[in-house]
Amino acid sequence: MNVSKLLAAFLKVNVQMAMAYRADTVVNILLNIMWLGWELLSLGIIFSNTDTIAGWKFGELIALLGVFRLVHTLMIALIWPNTEKFNQSIRDGSMDYTLLQPVNSMFLVTFSRITVWRAWDLFLAIILVVVGINMSNTIVSPLSIAIFILLTISGAIVIYSLWIVLIALTFWFTKFDNNVTILQALLDAGRYPVTVYPAWLRILVTFVIPIAVATTVPLQGLRGELSVGRAVLFMLIGAGSFLIASQVWKRGLKQYSGASS
Amino acid sequence: MFKIFQRLWQVNWAEQWQYRANLIMYLLYWLVSPIIYLAVWTSIANSKGSVNGLTANDFTTYYMTLLIVDQITSNIVIHTFGYKIQDGTLAGELIRPIHPMLTNALVNNIAFKALTILGFIPIWIILFFLFKPDYGGVTLTGILLSIPAMILGFFISFLLSASITALAFWTTRVYSIHEFYYALVLLFSGQFVPLTLMPKVIQEIAQYLPFQLFLYYPVQLILGRLSSAQIVQGYGMGLIWLIVAITVFNLVWRNGVKRFSAVGA
Repeated sequence: MNVSKLLAAFLKVNVQMAMAYRADTVVNILLNIMWLGWELLSLGIIFSNTDTIAGWKFGELIALLGVFRLVHTLMIALIWPNTEKFNQSIRDGSMDYTLLQPVNSMFLVTFSRITVWRAWDLFLAIILVVVGINMSNTIVSPLSIAIFILLTISGAIVIYSLWIVLIALTFWFTKFDNNVTILQALLDAGRYPVTVYPAWLRILVTFVIPIAVATTVPLQGLRGELSVGRAVLFMLIGAGSFLIASQVWKRGLKQYSGASS
Repeated sequence: MFKIFQRLWQVNWAEQWQYRANLIMYLLYWLVSPIIYLAVWTSIANSKGSVNGLTANDFTTYYMTLLIVDQITSNIVIHTFGYKIQDGTLAGELIRPIHPMLTNALVNNIAFKALTILGFIPIWIILFFLFKPDYGGVTLTGILLSIPAMILGFFISFLLSASITALAFWTTRVYSIHEFYYALVLLFSGQFVPLTLMPKVIQEIAQYLPFQLFLYYPVQLILGRLSSAQIVQGYGMGLIWLIVAITVFNLVWRNGVKRFSAVGA
């Protein structure tokens, strides 16, 4: 099955859905700009009182905000709408029809809803990263940029895999409607470098719900704080977590008995 | 009247008890950001000795107290009432001889709070041992003074949110309006940082707005960081805003209900 063709079809359907609510989309974008303003203001307030946070400068936090917004967009544009649909389909049994289709069910469940106007958010995020790095005068080499991009991707894969595991748990515990709340609640911890946090919180957001792997770690790579070995290790973790997640998904499917039967 | 409230309490408590798992999730949501701000500011204060005269312990006590005050003054009326106007369920409540917002929704909010506070107490104690705030400066007078201030703060916040919720009589975009309102709260209430660290302009404006009465003012009262003049000014502002909030709410509600025509009616 051609994945890119299917993805294009999903995108088309979702663009059509967004076009049906044009005014809402405009209001949402305006609110989005307002929150960006608030985030920049709050960083401004912090840095009017200090020069660094745990050794990180203003520009580096702007860049971190950019990476955070990438993850945040993943959350809002993909994870949230698809989870809602998935939970609904477990409750009313429409998951049966998804399973009948000749496509990888994990792909189908996780990509069929996409909040398209959020693409604009990705664009903003990239601008924040570029501007932030320029402001902070961090010395970047082609190697560190490559490491940064790879770590950002593998970080996103870690979050994606965790999400798969969380929703797959619904196969075992049918009444598990709050499956992604913990991920969403802790997401905010990604706004600041995890080195700021006390040890217990750092461990929680690095190992248990690894938000930091997708936010702080890529920027550490960019700042040249990670050895190449460490960077490769994080990438392997990304690949490994995806493999584990797809195994959990497969096991979960075997548990699924359908709401109608 | 008392009997009505008693019965409403039973119903609403039972209703909220049904969703106790969701309440835990809600608690988690609402705890995370103050804890993050606490960590960020104490880290800055530790590296510099103090920020604008505030030590690491000042920040720890500020956010730990804010967690409690927020629990008491916040409200969820937009989430529990907005949809009733939109889908017409309000019609059934309007024919009862009691005010849907000022009795039922209010009691529902308080039941919700009572339950979350039950879940919150053990979490707060754990956080207390993790962050070890030194509450040496707190006096009994401060705590006693803060109680009416928190009740005042709750009623102002409830009435303002109720007014915004009642805008649903006119527009379907009431959630977007509420999001904007929430941003104002974030900016002027002291949720992000003690207001004294905000830019001067924001501090000046915040003095005259109701939002600091939700968090900053009661927190500072408890911590004993306000002069008597500031205490008097805060209560004065509170009373003025309470009157304003009551007036605004009545105006919006009366006109809204007149416009209301439920689906199927």
